[in-house]
Amino acid sequence: MLLSPNAMGRPLRTGLYVTTGVIAAFLLLPVVFIILLSFGSSQWLVFPPPGWTLKWYEQFFSNPEWMDAALASLKVAILTTVAAVALGLPTAFALVRGRFPGREMLYGLFTMPMIVPLVIIAVAVYALFLKLGYTGTLFAFVVSHVIVALPFTIISIINSLKLFDQSIEDAAVICGASRLQAIFKVTFPAIRPGMIAGGLFAFLVSWDEVVLSVMMASPDLQTLPVKMWTTLRQDLSPVIAVASTLLIGLSLLVMVIAAALRRRAENA
Amino acid sequence: MSAVIKENAPNKTLVSLRGLNKHYGDFTAVDNLDLEIQDGEFLTFLGSSGSGKSTTLSMLAGFETPSSGEILVDGQSLVNVPPHKRDIGMVFQRYSLFPHLNVRDNIAFPLAIRKLSSAETKKRVDAMLKLVQLDPFAHRKPSQMSGGQQQRVAIARALVYEPRILLMDEPLGALDKKLREDLQDELRQLHRRLGITIVYVTHDQEEAMRLSQRIAIFSHGKIVGLGTGFDLYQNPPNAFVASFLGNSNFLRIKASSNGAGSFEGQQLAIRLTPGLAAEQQALIMVRPEKALALSAEQAAREPLPAGWNEVGATVGEVLFLGESQTCHVVTQGGTELTVKALSAAGMPMRPGEQVKVRWAVADACIYTEWAESDLSKSAGAH
Repeated sequence: MLLSPNAMGRPLRTGLYVTTGVIAAFLLLPVVFIILLSFGSSQWLVFPPPGWTLKWYEQFFSNPEWMDAALASLKVAILTTVAAVALGLPTAFALVRGRFPGREMLYGLFTMPMIVPLVIIAVAVYALFLKLGYTGTLFAFVVSHVIVALPFTIISIINSLKLFDQSIEDAAVICGASRLQAIFKVTFPAIRPGMIAGGLFAFLVSWDEVVLSVMMASPDLQTLPVKMWTTLRQDLSPVIAVASTLLIGLSLLVMVIAAALRRRAENA
Repeated sequence: MSAVIKENAPNKTLVSLRGLNKHYGDFTAVDNLDLEIQDGEFLTFLGSSGSGKSTTLSMLAGFETPSSGEILVDGQSLVNVPPHKRDIGMVFQRYSLFPHLNVRDNIAFPLAIRKLSSAETKKRVDAMLKLVQLDPFAHRKPSQMSGGQQQRVAIARALVYEPRILLMDEPLGALDKKLREDLQDELRQLHRRLGITIVYVTHDQEEAMRLSQRIAIFSHGKIVGLGTGFDLYQNPPNAFVASFLGNSNFLRIKASSNGAGSFEGQQLAIRLTPGLAAEQQALIMVRPEKALALSAEQAAREPLPAGWNEVGATVGEVLFLGESQTCHVVTQGGTELTVKALSAAGMPMRPGEQVKVRWAVADACIYTEWAESDLSKSAGAH
């Protein structure tokens, strides 16, 4: 109770508020700057902007290269989401319900991509796909993104599956449903918030993934972060700020949806 | 004493468990169990945790597969029938309602699986809602209801498809005492009205007594006592059941003939017991409320009636428990005994006083075989 804001006394409380404010500003300021710059009229990203304009947005949306990249990003992220949930769901069931030797080890294996440096995964996947001739394909993008997205999806589904009382599924079975029917009619609806959260995590991981994507990219197929990365190396155009803003905007939207769904699940 | 069972006569066996075993590695959860469950009876599996009662219920439901043995319903083997095809109803301890469905849809679930017409479904669900008195709550979600209401929904869901057998796994365990007693009364009435066979699992003796026509007492994967609550309490078949059900006093004796024995050097009369030989060690079991404690003057005033025994003892402690009083005494030989009497009758003893403990020979059970661990439970239960 020492750490309750109400009990700690005024000076300490003020200190806490200031620290929290500074940290929040530190985290948010770059985002705010980028968003403001995307509307600034300066070609050279001068801050504060000398005037306001939408011309960089016009440039972004009229440039097929940017649009293709954004569309590719969206496509890859959606496919990654679907694949991560489709693979994560049975994996989570096996890890939670299974009674087989090596289950703990398997869990470690599945979550390893969270710990292994991304570059190492990227180089390994790149080497493999180079040999198979898959680099630069949509398949390569999705597979490599699923590798890093899957741990988040699995953990999210595992958590909701562990909270689910299996006797509810048993109740459906004794009521006459086969085990599979019971899982589809009762267990899936009950763990839906975890499945959705897992899917949204996968989407976000894929949406702003850059290390793997740089390796997988080809002149014909690149995602938005890759396009930003390559553009940035040539010149510093405010269009990059536009792309960043859109990237952040969609991420925020996904997070808001996730929060809303969670709230609805809690109130249900 | 068997009046309760005679109600259902003629008795017909509905479920037979034959030589049922369940092993988990080296651990034997259910040990060569035989049991006949009568059609329409309310049978309770009573035992402490790990006694095998829930595992046996699980095998009946089909969630556990027996290691060996046979489960017959109406003579048909159930062992290879998956749980969803057994047509058995079950109520779980934690209600286990479907959280995303409202009360009506929860109760309708088994009918939806069976693809009944919507008119028939509505008719049956309405009848069930009425039966468990939840008509006004049909559109509530389970999370918006109290524990007692949720369990009533669970009961309705288990009955709506008219199974012949209803299994209940400690269904009232999570409820508080008052609510539990209300629901026990409701369950008893429900059973009487529907005539369904109920197999109920609990570790609560009073609940078992209150609800069931017969009780099966489980210990170490075996049924060690089977009968009406009355019979099991008044005439426990063995020392374990005696100490497990209620409270009990055990006196160690050495038989001198079939009708007498010596306790701490004193001759006592005992019930005629088949197979009891002279010089054999035996146990006398007297329920605390069947024994009387008399002060020295009282004992002098009231001569020992015929067919009664008396031993001398020193009062250790007298406890007032509201409705009743208990008096703990120790005999000269160090045997601890408890005497219980209604407060209205009064026990004016004080600690340290000499008393005479009396009991009727007919009220004392005799055991010739027992394990020391069978008796230790009674010490903890006092």
